[in-house]
Amino acid sequence: MVELQEICVGFGDKQVLDHFSLSLPLEGITALQGPSGCGKTTLLRVLSGLERPRSGRVLGLSPQETAVLFQENRLLPWRTVRQQITDVLPRSRHEEAQRWLEVVELTGEEDAHPSTLSGGMARRLALGRCLALGGRLYLLDEPFAGVDPERAARIMGRLKELALPILLVSHEPAILALADRVLLLNGPPLTLI
Amino acid sequence: MEWSKRLKQLISVLLPPAIWLGAWQLGAYLVELHVEGRGNELLLPYPATVLAALLTLAGEPAFWGTIFATLGRILAGMAVGTLLGSLLAPLTCRWSWADRLLSPAIRVIRATPVASFILLLLLWTHRGTVPAIIAGLMVLPVVWENLCRGLGETDGQLLELARAYRFSRGKTLRLIYLPSLRPYFLSAITTSMGLAWKSGVAAEVLCLPRPGMGTEIYNSKLYLEIPDLFAWTAVVVALSLMLERLLRWALHRAKGGVDRG
Repeated sequence: MVELQEICVGFGDKQVLDHFSLSLPLEGITALQGPSGCGKTTLLRVLSGLERPRSGRVLGLSPQETAVLFQENRLLPWRTVRQQITDVLPRSRHEEAQRWLEVVELTGEEDAHPSTLSGGMARRLALGRCLALGGRLYLLDEPFAGVDPERAARIMGRLKELALPILLVSHEPAILALADRVLLLNGPPLTLI
Repeated sequence: MEWSKRLKQLISVLLPPAIWLGAWQLGAYLVELHVEGRGNELLLPYPATVLAALLTLAGEPAFWGTIFATLGRILAGMAVGTLLGSLLAPLTCRWSWADRLLSPAIRVIRATPVASFILLLLLWTHRGTVPAIIAGLMVLPVVWENLCRGLGETDGQLLELARAYRFSRGKTLRLIYLPSLRPYFLSAITTSMGLAWKSGVAAEVLCLPRPGMGTEIYNSKLYLEIPDLFAWTAVVVALSLMLERLLRWALHRAKGGVDRG
């Protein structure tokens, strides 16, 4: 389990997380659902160590044990599809890279550059790179934005088969339906409904 | 169809230099017409006379030695200037105390007239090293400033990605900084190279190192060998253009190296 205890995060006068506490299992797929701007992304950023809370603490998980998929793809424009994956692997393991490209259905695009990919393909590549990084908890912010629903459901099914511990943010009912648990949120400040 | 296209291409390439050569020829003719005595020899020689002077010079063994000596000095200076600019840029961007210490000095270098530097350096150091130092001083501020701008404009989201994905410093440098800085570096080098080359030759004209193209230009003027002055100037211009092309080609090839990682 990962425990968030009394986390406070604010930007200027705006309090996004105000003494927020939550227990999350490090297994299965947990989905966060809530209106835009309620603080879901901030919660993921706290867990990944990119946002330092004003107060409170995270127990049972260190930022080095997370793999985060940002809301933006953040692909390196000068690296090919395969290189984006091998770059995050400890060594350039082509077979492992190929495996992750299969999971996100990007085989055949190995030598393409991000500028030649469609929005959905770029999103899947960013997801594949995050999965290749590995960790005790995957933090996926809108992982299937721009991906067609059928393909998204197929990839989600594969993630379930792989039994990866995932905390994801999504608004899409088809994705939420495949999650093991859904947490309904509101805010700001972020509250569990 | 194919032939007319090629002919058009050939004309578009050859016409501008032909027009300028024609203007030069006309100018020399007018000088011959209106200036009594040795007008062409002393003021404006014909292009053919300059070509003949160039061919005579090229036939002398010292010609190539002179060219390589000047090239060596200026390229060495440029290399050192580029290296220093590349080292100082991250230093001044990373640490504010380094910025406060070094930025004014670099800005003073950029604002100081090159002639002042040449004359001061001539007092302080050997005449043969002045052109190299001058070339370096021309390159350093441009490389420094461009790289500082490039570092400031490196995508913050990619740097955050590098942090979140636990990239080592070397990996962040190789995968994010170097490719991001490449256009800034390329722009700095191509901008400053012409400046360094011209200033280096100007330094030779004032310092008279031997052998040196600037020294030959000065001697041509001193002995009123104006066709030789034109011929040496043509060599300086041709070398500048060649160096710029060579540099662009080399940097284009280097891009592959960076991309392959």
